[in-house]
Amino acid sequence: MIRFEQVGKRYPNGHTGLVDVSFRVHRGEMVFVTGHSGAGKSTLLKLILALEKADAGKILLAGQDISEITHAQIPFLRRQIGVVFQNHRLLPDRSVFENVALPLQILGLSREQMTKRVHAALDKVGLLRKEKCLPQDISTGEQQRVGIARAVVHKPALLLADEPTGNLDPRLAAEIMGLFEDFHRAGTTVLVASHDLALIARMRHRLLTLQRGRIIGDGESG
Amino acid sequence: MSDKPQKIGQEAAAARPAKRGAKRDQHGWRETLRAYGRSHKASLHDSVGRLWAQPISTLLTWLVMGIALSLPMGMGLLLDSLEKLGGSWQRAAQISVFLELRLPEAESQALSLRIADMAHVADVELISREQALAEFQQQSGLGEALKELPENPLPALIVVTPKEVERAGLEALLSELQGLPGVAQAQLDLAWVERLAAMLSLGQRFVFGIALLLIAGLLLVVGNTIRLAIEGRRQEIEVIKLVGGTDGYVRRPFLYIGVLYGFGAGLIAWVLLAFGLSWLNDAVVRLAGLYQSDFALIGVPVEEGLLLMLGSVMLGYCGAWLAVGRHLRELEAQVQ
Repeated sequence: MIRFEQVGKRYPNGHTGLVDVSFRVHRGEMVFVTGHSGAGKSTLLKLILALEKADAGKILLAGQDISEITHAQIPFLRRQIGVVFQNHRLLPDRSVFENVALPLQILGLSREQMTKRVHAALDKVGLLRKEKCLPQDISTGEQQRVGIARAVVHKPALLLADEPTGNLDPRLAAEIMGLFEDFHRAGTTVLVASHDLALIARMRHRLLTLQRGRIIGDGESG
Repeated sequence: MSDKPQKIGQEAAAARPAKRGAKRDQHGWRETLRAYGRSHKASLHDSVGRLWAQPISTLLTWLVMGIALSLPMGMGLLLDSLEKLGGSWQRAAQISVFLELRLPEAESQALSLRIADMAHVADVELISREQALAEFQQQSGLGEALKELPENPLPALIVVTPKEVERAGLEALLSELQGLPGVAQAQLDLAWVERLAAMLSLGQRFVFGIALLLIAGLLLVVGNTIRLAIEGRRQEIEVIKLVGGTDGYVRRPFLYIGVLYGFGAGLIAWVLLAFGLSWLNDAVVRLAGLYQSDFALIGVPVEEGLLLMLGSVMLGYCGAWLAVGRHLRELEAQVQ
């Protein structure tokens, strides 16, 4: 599903993002990426999303070389990926329903299809009854769950999450991780970047550890 | 919702343009077109909603653009009217043939018929000495004083309207008329026609220059308005880009806003011109009447009005396109 081959990334300010990183994530696998702040976790996710371009190596997503795609192809690549952000990036002037429907609107789905899918996604994260609320009217944990619903509403093959539990208390963080496990069990490939080792340790999944842009560990968490 | 995730590319392909030469089944194309149509409908709906939500600011933008558009268009229409006035060149180029004072009336009439038969003459009008005096008395306000004259000092006059207005031809005709027996003097005044043509040409250049400046100004107005709209939706645009929105998808609602601004401005400009010219026309008709002219301003012909609307919509579209294009590049860098 994801294949990094000797990928390197250095930022114009001289900061090292990744150095000679190689790994593979198989379809349906759930993988945690961990490491200290600045270790390269976010860079890795940004490269998959084509938000950044690698300076060296190859990144293959389902066989497609991301480093070779054109600017016009990038949106179509991103439509195959669901992304969850630490700060959830919800639109404050849109309701929960409208926030979740955004990727479907982009795909041009009909109102009926959209309603069906959004309701299903909100049901999955337990927020069906809050579809008319604005993001600021719900709790932080609920906001993150809306972010997850938005990430999965178009049924992406790959779900990426960048520090999805960073702003949450341990109970909510565990709930959110539980949701990721649900999607993983349903067959979605999940890649979660997190520095919350205690939380990761409670789950038995593959763990990639980054330090100063290099992979220093590839094993199982817990 | 089925829990099964799509295979890579499965669903996204619905909204992805096919590569050239790729075979797509008919259903796929229909669905792609439907999705495209729905996306446009949603963008238009969103743009109308956003303009509606800020009625004062929308109205002000329409007014600024409408007034700016109506100025060059109004000046253009005034020039058209003046051109129509100057367009009666034949009347303007009439030759006045003054007959000898003592020429008998029968000979005057014979001369008039002879001139009417000439190849380059379209029309002649004989004004007898009595008619000339009567007109002069009426127009000069010296009626009573003229009555005291022992005899009519005015000669008979033949007003010759040439078939074509071309300087060399007119001068040849003038000299031919001048040589006719019984003709005291023939007069042709082309100077004012030439002056009017020169002034119209200057006016046209002036209007063209003003129009160019105002068009540039309008592009800036639309561009700036769209820039503010983009700033207000920066976060939304970033998220749209992150979840797979194309540049076209991001650009679309702003282009609709530009088009709607253009449409409203065009409509306002049309209404302003129609009322403005009608209001001005009353005074122009009164003034022209004092000069025995039936000159009146041309209103806004429907075709010109429609062209104004089209031009205005295009201006809005282009202004929005330029503004969004520039800001999209900036945003692209910031999303990263």
